Amino acid sequence: MSMKLTRLISVCCAALALTACEDPEPKLKGAPPDMRRLTETQYENVISDVFGIDVDVAGRFDPLRRTSGLVAVGAREARITPTGFERFYNAAKTVSERVTDAEHRATLIPCTPADAAKADDACARAFMTQTGRLLFRRPLTTAEADYFVKAAGEAAGANGDFYRGLTTSLASMLVTPQFLFVADTTEADPADKSAERLDAYARASRLSFFLWNTTPDETLMAAAEKGELNDSASLARHVDRMMASPRAEVGMRAFFNDFLALEDFDTLEKDPLIYPTFTLEVAENAREQIVKTIIDHVSRGEDYRDIFTTRKTFLTRALARVYRVPIDRTDNGWISYEFAADQNRYGIQSQIALMALYAYPGRSSAVRRGRAVRELLMCQKVPDPPGDVDFSLFTDPNSPSKTARERLTAHINAPACAGCHKITDPIGLSFENFDGAGQYRLTENEAHIDSGGDLNGAPYTGPEGLAQALRNDPATASCVVNRLYSYAVGRSVEQDDTAVVNFLDKGFAASKYKFVELMRKVALSDAFFTVSKPNTTAAASGEMAVATAH
Amino acid sequence: MRVRSQVLSFASAVVLAAPCFAAETGIVHDRRMGFVVKDWFTAVYETKFMDECPEGVSIANDEVWWRRLSRADKDEQTGNGMIQALNRVGVSFLRGRNGEHVCLEPDSVDDPPQRIVEGKLSFGVNLDGDADGKASAKSCAHENFTHPDGTTGIDNQMYRLVGCTYGWRKDVGTVDMNANEMRNTSGLGLILIDVSEVDNPRNDDDVTVTFYRSVDQWVQDSKGAPLPFQTFNIDVVDGKPRYGDSIKGAIKDGVLTTKNGDVRLPWYGNYVFMHPVIRDLTLRLDIDPSGERATGMVAGYYDVEAFTYYIGSLGAVVPVNGINCSSLIKAARELADGYPDPKTGKCTALSSAFDLLAYAAYIRLPAAAATKTAER
Repeated sequence: MSMKLTRLISVCCAALALTACEDPEPKLKGAPPDMRRLTETQYENVISDVFGIDVDVAGRFDPLRRTSGLVAVGAREARITPTGFERFYNAAKTVSERVTDAEHRATLIPCTPADAAKADDACARAFMTQTGRLLFRRPLTTAEADYFVKAAGEAAGANGDFYRGLTTSLASMLVTPQFLFVADTTEADPADKSAERLDAYARASRLSFFLWNTTPDETLMAAAEKGELNDSASLARHVDRMMASPRAEVGMRAFFNDFLALEDFDTLEKDPLIYPTFTLEVAENAREQIVKTIIDHVSRGEDYRDIFTTRKTFLTRALARVYRVPIDRTDNGWISYEFAADQNRYGIQSQIALMALYAYPGRSSAVRRGRAVRELLMCQKVPDPPGDVDFSLFTDPNSPSKTARERLTAHINAPACAGCHKITDPIGLSFENFDGAGQYRLTENEAHIDSGGDLNGAPYTGPEGLAQALRNDPATASCVVNRLYSYAVGRSVEQDDTAVVNFLDKGFAASKYKFVELMRKVALSDAFFTVSKPNTTAAASGEMAVATAH
Repeated sequence: MRVRSQVLSFASAVVLAAPCFAAETGIVHDRRMGFVVKDWFTAVYETKFMDECPEGVSIANDEVWWRRLSRADKDEQTGNGMIQALNRVGVSFLRGRNGEHVCLEPDSVDDPPQRIVEGKLSFGVNLDGDADGKASAKSCAHENFTHPDGTTGIDNQMYRLVGCTYGWRKDVGTVDMNANEMRNTSGLGLILIDVSEVDNPRNDDDVTVTFYRSVDQWVQDSKGAPLPFQTFNIDVVDGKPRYGDSIKGAIKDGVLTTKNGDVRLPWYGNYVFMHPVIRDLTLRLDIDPSGERATGMVAGYYDVEAFTYYIGSLGAVVPVNGINCSSLIKAARELADGYPDPKTGKCTALSSAFDLLAYAAYIRLPAAAATKTAER
């Protein structure tokens, strides 16, 4: 073979490396179409995007149950209780009153009634169909449009006020399942008459909630209407547009909030007498710090695995107090900061957020922290303790054991406990230099803290050793792939998905663990849109009767 | 050679250990550690039965005024008793011979002399270096105290002056307490103590101690104490610190002790802004092993004029603390034991001592100030 030909082949292979030379994506059967209830954040994002008004609903809706490691998966199991419905109705009433009030109606309602004291079906139809398309993420059916126009007319007549009519009708729209649940509406697959596929609007919603954590924008809706989202080249163009948007950060934030179970901050309490530095401001800042650190890291195209070793982060004055570092900022804003090597803050796992979350109100917890690393960062399930476990050896206030390591050693020698503690404690004990509020310490009860540990049998020393061990363990990278895929499709990863997850895992490694690339790859994968045939017609129908919400 | 190697080896270990310890606990950053002063109390030695004040506590300004009034005057001054006692307080200040405010014109009345401390024990330090209290080029004749720990030659004329006035007595006096409260809740005039050139926060034979004023308020914990390790910016004018006098010091087993030096300090309390120069100031600070807080004492010569200005500005603090401005200020002039005026020979400053409680702080200096400190 001539030198020239060898070079040519080499160049060709390099050029094709990301396309032709890559393994094809495995096919999967997919799961039946489903519905997922909007999270509180999604609800707020949608209202803000559709109406341009902010509404704070935090803590007002029934909480979604974390399932298979993600709230996004639990959202498909959500049911609305009578009390929960009342809360949705209250939020809907607040939103609809603001949309139709004198301040907003001129910009949000596309027409003016002939007589503001009477019903005006034409104007009501214009508003309800325009708004309904954005809220239902698809055009309203004729029956739906008729229903909302009629509701607006009846309420306007009863109150002698056109806008009161719109308020009532919009509020009723905001409590429909079509709005509150993102449904996988399907259509017959033209390529396989026996199969179903997501219809264009469901594809748009899936993309939008995955990449932006909100409803599709006008461009995406228009693309869905034109059928562009079924074409791979057009789809790639839209995904790239969405990834380039500032809203992509909103999407990534939503994922990492879910991935790290940061909603637990909503109920985090610390004993102020034991940890006076851990104020409400510190808690709020700590939650933001870990997300900011990750988003900054992955947005710069850094190796995802380095989030476990990075010393780069962001600080506020409140956080600086707890980390015991001077801060070059006079107000309560953020600064970028890099910890010195001897400050022992390596990786997100050593930040206040996870250290404080996985501890007790008045002390640290090696077990909780070890379990959190296994379950959150490595996607490994740790069983709950048996119901009859005897904690007295560990919690005895008169115990001669001064450190958590000594107390746990006494406790885990009990055969019933040893199995789980062997997988949590070696990791958790290496966090013992961080107290229950995440503050660095050298001693506990005046005894020196031994922060040595081991991960899967490989010993290491202290926070830096743990950081390297986590970074180099294949489980941490494959965990984020697994969770991101699960988050994207809104269901747990099943046997059928294994090949696709492995495919994404390999792609992640090939991209040098660039998280943004992984997100793009998931969004462009066939698996992301694949559904099997519905189990029941009602569950996936986009034609659910409006009356069911009333 | 073997002995020398061992010495070198030991020295290296100390050098290596020092920054490691400092960084791990967060006490020292860039070879500096800092403190923000929370409490500043005049050091007053008290006995159970007030033996140090055999004549009792000093008589307050309004009480002196009231005692001297005839019944007819009392009726007139109080609107036949209809004016509340608190409202009469303001009138009592204006009892100079020609209606002068006696706290601003202390010589305008002839009041009974200030009741002063007659005990032998006091907190403080030996500021003038002698044991007998005789006059010298630097001091006027005075009686020395003995420290409760037995140390002789203690100079503390401030204690002698105010120790028998309710306002400075522990638990009942509110002069210092009010000042601390006001300073701490307003964030005005917080004193910052910057310790630089620190190689080891527990033992270091050569550090520099610099005093600044903060422009930042602190965040408090649920018990009202400042959270340690907050960052404070210093008061800067045209890029230079408004304060910033330095003295050398050393740390031994966690106790910082400085040499003597003249230091201009920021001050705010009881609605009074001041910047008194404390001459021959020496600081002792016992730093908690956690590095979070420190207790200690500032001693030095407190300027009589600054003291006079402060007392004259106290307003409503005077009556509620049993102060008689005129008697107190006149006694301050008489008891002054430091820095004789070259012309009159009369001393201009009172030896004094103040108890401190301070919390760990990071002190943010402008670039120019950092250079200036390093040059000292």
